[in-house]
Amino acid sequence: MAENLLEVKNLKKYFPVKAGIFKKTVAHVKAVDDISFAVKEGETLGLVGESGCGKSTTGRTILRLLEATAGEVIFEGKSVMDLDKKAMRAIRRDMQIIFQDPYASLNPRMTVADIVGEPLDIHKLAKNKKERNEKVREILENVGLGAEYMHRYPHEFSGGQRQRIGVARALAVDPKLIIADEPVSALDVSVQAQVVNLLQDLQKEYGLTYLFIAHDLSVVKHISDRVAVMYLGKIVELTDKHELYSNPKHPYTQSLLSAIPEADPKKKKNRIVLEGDVPSPVDPPSGCRFHPRCPKAFEPCSVKEPEFKEYGDGHFAACHLLDK
Amino acid sequence: MNFLNKQALVEVKNLKTYFYTEEGIVKAVDGVDYEIYPGETLGIVGESGCGKSVTSLSIMRLVESPPGRIEAGEINFQGKDLTKISEKEMRKIRGNDISMIFQEPMTSLNPVYTVGDQIIEAIMLHKDVNRKEARKQAIDMLKKVGIPLPEQRVDEYPHQLSGGMRQRVMIAMALSCDPKLLIADEPTTALDVTIQAQILELMNSLKESYGMSIMMITHDLGVIAEVSDRVAVMYAGKVVEYTDVDTLFDDPKHPYTWGLMNSIPKLDKDVDRLEAIPGSVPSPLNFPKGCKFNTRCPLAEGKCYDEEPPLEEAAAGHKVRCWRYKDLEEIKKRGERIYEDRGVQK
Repeated sequence: MAENLLEVKNLKKYFPVKAGIFKKTVAHVKAVDDISFAVKEGETLGLVGESGCGKSTTGRTILRLLEATAGEVIFEGKSVMDLDKKAMRAIRRDMQIIFQDPYASLNPRMTVADIVGEPLDIHKLAKNKKERNEKVREILENVGLGAEYMHRYPHEFSGGQRQRIGVARALAVDPKLIIADEPVSALDVSVQAQVVNLLQDLQKEYGLTYLFIAHDLSVVKHISDRVAVMYLGKIVELTDKHELYSNPKHPYTQSLLSAIPEADPKKKKNRIVLEGDVPSPVDPPSGCRFHPRCPKAFEPCSVKEPEFKEYGDGHFAACHLLDK
Repeated sequence: MNFLNKQALVEVKNLKTYFYTEEGIVKAVDGVDYEIYPGETLGIVGESGCGKSVTSLSIMRLVESPPGRIEAGEINFQGKDLTKISEKEMRKIRGNDISMIFQEPMTSLNPVYTVGDQIIEAIMLHKDVNRKEARKQAIDMLKKVGIPLPEQRVDEYPHQLSGGMRQRVMIAMALSCDPKLLIADEPTTALDVTIQAQILELMNSLKESYGMSIMMITHDLGVIAEVSDRVAVMYAGKVVEYTDVDTLFDDPKHPYTWGLMNSIPKLDKDVDRLEAIPGSVPSPLNFPKGCKFNTRCPLAEGKCYDEEPPLEEAAAGHKVRCWRYKDLEEIKKRGERIYEDRGVQK
């Protein structure tokens, strides 16, 4: 069995809500509230959930682009939470991120060669300009962009090509872990598949580990080995992808799966349509956070928070029903 | 369902909508034909820039002019050609017989008026009722679209509602005058899946009870499969395939439709690799000669580069715009993939 490359333990990220002329903190948005999981070397862990569930915040907190409120992030057996700036920068060589919006995440004033070359400069991975250009050329070719694009600017590319540049930038420093935060959701359907295929090829080629964050359950199922489902700052279920899709245990996962419109007009689904909206993370519901919308809620659900525990063979879930 | 022997509600013939920009003429919609029958949902599917939204804006005559202009074609609606009638006549139809909902409910609602005011405005504009009666009808509509506590919600402002609720308000407003046609332009794209399921369900049930037709514009084949009766697939300003929804998914005849279907992962089927369509949509300022899909099509050859194929009836009620659809048929029979893998290039 593969080693854990990344471990997240009881991670919390609260954002203060400030009000009044003295900007007093009046409440907290509990974006990520006590989650734990591990990513094994070479695997892809999918992190799915609806908007506002805390999946992107989780990704950013792991990289310390946001400082965690509490909890631990352990990368290759070392805690990254109390590293100083310099040590953190060094470790980011092994942990890279790809962002959702390929339009907003590339500097419009830099050429592709500079965008992809900058991480090489920061980590001093090229001895001289010639070596740097050589490396940039090689990386660009690996992501399916010819070297002739090196001296162009981001606006000259289509969305799919820009996302390839984003992937190239992350790859430049030869990382071990890539956190991909909705890498395909801004792209057209026909281009999404190109980027998904690229990410899979690169994983094989470089032995990469992915934390793949997305809201699209079918893409997540395609690319992941295991999947964690988040709801309102909590992981509600985590298991092998086949197990999750064939035997979802948490009522939220069940309704989420049934809600996806499938490209098959003959398939009539038993849809579990959830009532209402996701509650505010400032003042989440008591007990199980899903209970106000849960079609199967019973009396302990509103009082006691369910424990996130294993129900056989690596299938984790947090639901009172499973203990009934 | 068979709609074909009925009289069409809307008939779009050879519609061309061009935009005159500084860089050149953008042929956003370039010769599009379709019909919408009473009580049916016509799905229009395509990627960004294929002209799907512009066709709907053309029907509503909401294309900003300049730079846009309906260049040619007819839009027949209840015996009138909407491209020919005066703006005054059009105003009577817009919001009354034909209404529209948009992708982003926050930007299509006015933030400084309550949702009630906005629905009441629509009702009073088209129906001969006083304000009190209009308010009653507005509350009634909000109830029908599933907004809890409609008597309170009617006096709230758009920012006080969630995304799903706002889209419900938009639907209430659009349906307040009993339209014959509802145009829905990506109505669920900005919403989460669980909320999307609610809205699609609502639209389907309202369609039944109102007996209206829906034109559903989306990029999501899942949404198309769920709500449509018939489907038009658009690419680069043209309809490339046009048939009923079951036939389209069973037997896609255009290489583009085929590619779209195989490039999305399925929940119930595992594949190692997706069939990705190479390249990206060509710029509308610079469409290729011949078939517009020839820059990305693995089957393109000789004729495809010279001459644009017509939208041809390949089977009863199944039209396709491709010179080589019969060859695609053969490839499908052999069970081969037509799009090669283009991941890491070595």
